[in-house]
Amino acid sequence: MLYQLAARRARNMSQSSPNSDSTMLQVERLHKTFHAGTPNERVAIDGVTLELNQGDFVVVVGGNGAGKSTLLSMLAGEVLPDSGSIRVNGVNVTPLGTHLRAKYIARVFQDPSIGTAAALNIEENLAVAALRGQRRTFGRGLTSAQAREFQQRLGTFGLGLENRMKAQAGLLSGGQRQALSLLMAVLREPQLLLLDEHTAALDPRTAEAVMRVTSQVVDQAGLTTLMVTHNMHHALQYGNRLIMMRHGAVVADLSLEQKRRMTVEKLIAAFDDENPSLRMVSA
Amino acid sequence: MNLFDTFLNLVPMGLMQGLIYALIAIAVMIPFRILNFADMTGEGTLAFGACVTAKCLSAGLEPVSSLLIGAAAGFLGGSATAYIHEKVKVNTLLCGILVLSMLYSIDIRVMGQPNTALFTFPNLFQYLPGDDGTLTSRIALLAVVDIALIALIFWFLGTQHGMAMRSLGSSMAMAKAQGINIKVYVLVGLGLANLIAALGGGLLAQNQGFADVNMGFGTLINGLASLLLGEAIIGNRTILRQVAAPVLGSVVYFQLISIVLAFGFQPSDLKMVTAVFVLITLLILAKRKPGKSRKAVQERLARAA
Repeated sequence: MLYQLAARRARNMSQSSPNSDSTMLQVERLHKTFHAGTPNERVAIDGVTLELNQGDFVVVVGGNGAGKSTLLSMLAGEVLPDSGSIRVNGVNVTPLGTHLRAKYIARVFQDPSIGTAAALNIEENLAVAALRGQRRTFGRGLTSAQAREFQQRLGTFGLGLENRMKAQAGLLSGGQRQALSLLMAVLREPQLLLLDEHTAALDPRTAEAVMRVTSQVVDQAGLTTLMVTHNMHHALQYGNRLIMMRHGAVVADLSLEQKRRMTVEKLIAAFDDENPSLRMVSA
Repeated sequence: MNLFDTFLNLVPMGLMQGLIYALIAIAVMIPFRILNFADMTGEGTLAFGACVTAKCLSAGLEPVSSLLIGAAAGFLGGSATAYIHEKVKVNTLLCGILVLSMLYSIDIRVMGQPNTALFTFPNLFQYLPGDDGTLTSRIALLAVVDIALIALIFWFLGTQHGMAMRSLGSSMAMAKAQGINIKVYVLVGLGLANLIAALGGGLLAQNQGFADVNMGFGTLINGLASLLLGEAIIGNRTILRQVAAPVLGSVVYFQLISIVLAFGFQPSDLKMVTAVFVLITLLILAKRKPGKSRKAVQERLARAA
């Protein structure tokens, strides 16, 4: 196990790694310092190098201020790095802003109220998302064929949303909005799906329902996914890889087998460990 | 019924005014209700449109193209506000006020004087059959313009571009994540809103026979009052209602103004009347928010107890 971990890290570190067909996300030596040169200077991301293979479902955990959210924001394009590079499926997206990256990357936000447009109804939200990163025209924004397709796909979630297609998103509950957000993210299949603590604002039961829908859509399309979560049960239950961050760096990277032998207690204990990978792997 | 007669005499004039000022009510509706960008530029672009139209007419252009050039000038005014907001990141209202102050000086530069009489030049309404001094044909033409605008905006908001614009007004984060270029859509959206305000200014100038640099003053609050009134009457639950509300509201608003005048108020009192009306409407709306008022909370607590 230790050997495997070391091998993976070595591979990730190596600069010469070619863009093999299966590499979907390639992050190299990413750095970001906020308020540089002021007393508030804070290193948020300190040399993150990371590679996701096609179909990887990677869960990111770490304490507050570990850099998880900043990393996600940098992948989404909200925060531009000081140095380093981000490639999605071989395309260098490092300098691109959010709306230009949307062609490759979809995102579900932590706050249910910002991931969907409150004033638009369910089918209109989906219609806007169906054109994510595409050229928009003066053609109809929503056709009846689309409306039927959206209704059918929402029906597979089993949340009853398919009966409320004309309801404004602002009238939906947080869980319903997150489920809608998920379908919006995958309607036009993204090359990378970012889940930003998307169940954190929900009550436990709704969070379970949203996670069930999440794994349903991710598995169905075999999406390459990066999920940040504070829920350690979810971190162990979902995904095929687990990454722990601290002080803006990746401090542990667990494979599926290593993850299977992890417990919530050990995972939480590792948060404060000097060398978490050792403790977790030797578990 | 002297009061009633006075009001009846004012009906056609009110109708005409209402149909023209409906355009600035639309110009208020688009930023406030669609883009979620509080914008005051309309007050300046109305006069800008009027002054540019007046300049074109006095330079010998025919009425329709003068009107369109005036409207295009309004587009520039609106997009200037959006551009300043994007570059300087200051409060949207301040951006609008900056632009409308600039436009005041530009208006006088354009016309070379603070006002221009247009009686000697051809105007749009002369094309109408039987423009014999009665207002009927003018009202009919203005109604056609308003309905065409409602139809056009309604159509646009249903297109892919229109839906993108509506979604960014709801959530900028969502819009960006869907690949929508917010800067461009806000620039064009504010431009179009102010194009409509300037079109209203051009129509107003041609209708009353003069353009004045001060003619925009206070029109924004009229537009807001009209919008709120229209929404109170037909609501804004559907896009069509939202788009029609400012026009309907403006027509009703100017009839209410006629009633106020029939009661013997002076025209100079109207700004006070309008401001108080807007204030009262906002108060009613705030009270009406379900479950938010103190009373509703108390009732809920009483029920729970």
